[in-house]
Amino acid sequence: MRNTLSILGVTLAFGLALYFGGIAAGPYWQLVALNLAMWIALTQSWSLFSGLTGYVSLGHVVAYGLGAYTMVILFREWPVWVLIPLGGAVAGLFALIVALPVLRVRGPYFVILTFGLAELVKFVLLAVETALGQSSRLMFGAPGAQTLLAWMVALAALATLLRHFVGVSVFGRGLIAIREDETAAETIGIPISRYKALAFALSAVIPGMVGAVMALRSTYFEVLQVFSPTISFTIVTMAIIGGAGDARGPVLGALFLVALSEILRGVSPQLYLIFLGISLIGFVLFAPNGLTGLLRRKSS
Amino acid sequence: MLDSLLSAQLLFAAAVLGSIYALVGLGLNLVYGTMRLLNIAHGDILMIGAFSAYWWFTLTGLSPLIALPLVAAIGAGLGLALYFGLFRRQLAQGLPPAAIEARSLLLFFGVSVVLQNVVAFFFSSTPRAYRHLDEVVRIGDLAMTGNRIAALVVAVTLLAGMLVFLNRSLFGIEIRALIQHREAARVVGINVDRVQMVAIALGFAAAAIAGALLSMTEQTSPFMGFRFTIAAFVVIILGGLGNIRGGIIAGMLLAVIEIYAVTIFSAEARSILIYGAFVAALLIRPQGLIGFGKRG
Repeated sequence: MRNTLSILGVTLAFGLALYFGGIAAGPYWQLVALNLAMWIALTQSWSLFSGLTGYVSLGHVVAYGLGAYTMVILFREWPVWVLIPLGGAVAGLFALIVALPVLRVRGPYFVILTFGLAELVKFVLLAVETALGQSSRLMFGAPGAQTLLAWMVALAALATLLRHFVGVSVFGRGLIAIREDETAAETIGIPISRYKALAFALSAVIPGMVGAVMALRSTYFEVLQVFSPTISFTIVTMAIIGGAGDARGPVLGALFLVALSEILRGVSPQLYLIFLGISLIGFVLFAPNGLTGLLRRKSS
Repeated sequence: MLDSLLSAQLLFAAAVLGSIYALVGLGLNLVYGTMRLLNIAHGDILMIGAFSAYWWFTLTGLSPLIALPLVAAIGAGLGLALYFGLFRRQLAQGLPPAAIEARSLLLFFGVSVVLQNVVAFFFSSTPRAYRHLDEVVRIGDLAMTGNRIAALVVAVTLLAGMLVFLNRSLFGIEIRALIQHREAARVVGINVDRVQMVAIALGFAAAAIAGALLSMTEQTSPFMGFRFTIAAFVVIILGGLGNIRGGIIAGMLLAVIEIYAVTIFSAEARSILIYGAFVAALLIRPQGLIGFGKRG
């Protein structure tokens, strides 16, 4: 109970600090705060499925992209506060549909399968957009930066709490049992297919909403850019660098890479990605449990 | 319509692409087969080979075909550097294959991002091409450019050479033994470390040469590799792990499907088809690549 209260308190405090700090510090920091909140929301959601089950997804950009696509095609029809949750619902539904065949594939093959599937979705949508004569889409009259920051911080907080509470629930322990030994988990009566599918769908919902908000932020939609595999890669790298053990990992990983990005992107975007790759290699080799692992080692 | 589909022209195009796919797949087969390293940077090695050939031609004006040994050496050197830098100690620890696969996937992912962006950083991401051996040779209705004929001849020669090497030479047999059963190979006295070194050097050299051949006919860019990584995985999933002959057939098959898809539908159909084949192959063989290898 005290643990529950403290995580609620910390998340709330961090969220408020991010929102008001971002606004008070001017447009540049507001954008940094938005980016940070976005990556926290995405990485926490990823961790909810991949961190708990051990099924590493390299295709989470699909959820993000579907949310953005939902927003951009219905923007003129419906209000934004309907479309953001709808983007999440579309992403979750898609994940639920593909879950059954995809989740039969295990280990590294699951990783490369999710990557292939994400690229397949990207090229199919590209063909659809080309057939419709839409090489890119623009949106006019999107909400202002402060509103979007509020949405994004709320999503980051929601994703963090969801990751934490699922992790300590019976459902979450079932997922961890699947990660440790899937056959044994099935033997003791955990409904593994249902659990995996549910976690997979749940981990797509918030990224779908994040995608919808980011579409409003850029007011510009192009399939190749929105469905870029770099987004999936960045999520995985943040999770590895942060450590997937608990809800702190994704926050630390996002902080690390957003800081790296802000320092290096101005110099050259390639330089940022080179350092991203080197950091990933370094952490996998020397600190496989990420920053949280390093912290834990220090404190014990 | 049917006439044009059965034309020698399309079959020739498929043969050129198929031999490149087979060569790329062969490299992945060696690296994955002997060490269980999931090399998702394989296409980026091809990209390095393509860039090396491009710069060789641009700076010296000499045919990239002369530079093939140099390109192969660059590929092999890169392979050995990664082997000693990242993988040798991990492999010696005797981790279970699943752990090695998972860790190597992340490491190669990092390598892939670094290679792509180092090349983009120094040479920009603008696609590059050069003209070499582009005069057309006609045999009946069939019009072929010299560079495609050269690519086909070189790739087929290398594939045949590798087949002979792996089936006839003692060292080739040692590589195949390691692919089939790692522990048993160690027990009968095969120097596992040395075989692994040669396998990664050969595999990377094959990918780099494929890139050099490709650079004569297609544009070269830092991000060209993805497509070939995926193609290589399709080749070894369909053809069978460690099954070199199966891989050659699978490479040809993939190229035929791709060339016909582009002809019948559109250029966009190419990516949809390659990724579609990739996803389908994995869904049909959810236990992964190993099941095929044991059978083949």
